[in-house]
Amino acid sequence: MNLTVCDEEMDGFVSRLLIRWRVGMADGKPAEMESGGERKRKRGVEASSSSSSCSSSSAVAKWRTEGEQRNYSSKLIAALRRVRSATPSPAGSRAVREAADRALAVAARGRTRWSRAILLSSKIPSLKRSRVLLRRRATFRPKPVAAGRSSRPPALEKKTRVLGRLVPGCRKLPLPSLLEEVSDYIAALQMQVRAMSAIAQILSATSDTGGAPPPPPM
Amino acid sequence: MSGRRSRISEEEINELISKLQILLPDNYHHRHRGSSRASAATLLKETCNYIKSLHKEVSELSGQLSELMAATDFNGAQAEVLQSIFRS
Repeated sequence: MNLTVCDEEMDGFVSRLLIRWRVGMADGKPAEMESGGERKRKRGVEASSSSSSCSSSSAVAKWRTEGEQRNYSSKLIAALRRVRSATPSPAGSRAVREAADRALAVAARGRTRWSRAILLSSKIPSLKRSRVLLRRRATFRPKPVAAGRSSRPPALEKKTRVLGRLVPGCRKLPLPSLLEEVSDYIAALQMQVRAMSAIAQILSATSDTGGAPPPPPM
Repeated sequence: MSGRRSRISEEEINELISKLQILLPDNYHHRHRGSSRASAATLLKETCNYIKSLHKEVSELSGQLSELMAATDFNGAQAEVLQSIFRS
């Protein structure tokens, strides 16, 4: 069985996949996210002028670009093919999830804490990992655990902790940094959902047209 | 008393948190739709819920994809897909 597909074909496949998704899908959800994304991008631009963290909103906007989604989709599909050829038995959903998260973390290019945490937790040794570790060590300075503890209302404290647990690698982060990670993480997750939905739609449409062997009867 | 305030003031925190509202999709704000301000605690809670729902969605999609992968041959499927895309 020949599994080789050249990269240009894959790229074309993925970009067509995106165009099709943008243009036609009558489903409420993708359309809503697209228009919501545009609206949010505008508001993100307004908000950025009033704060010092303008880099974060441009980073968030980056997750909404088609190029980014295309890049992610092609990486994900490549990873899925690897998973599939590696395990002769059908790939579990967990393997798919992990591949998707890893691909997402790679797409973040190591600029955020959550992406580094995901990459570190996967057991594949890589040069990027050690480089990332070294860079963090060099710039890390021990936070002064303030004797005068910053007074957060206890209601916020608890929710902040929950939020920190939800985002990988952000358990002990102070609130401002945590919020920055959160906004990037949410934008990335949204893209992940969009990309995976599109791929699933295409694949299921394909298996319906009868070109592929029919799925085994349940 | 050194009079040392927390380095980030309360208002700045609230401002940062209110920025999260931009990321949450509209269907998360049933009550506050139209109003530009929701309390910080509400926003944090809704953000947590939203992230959880995104996680859940990714898990479901992973399940779907793993089933689809088993059912379709990636290589044969790819040719079919290219054809269907060119057609539509």
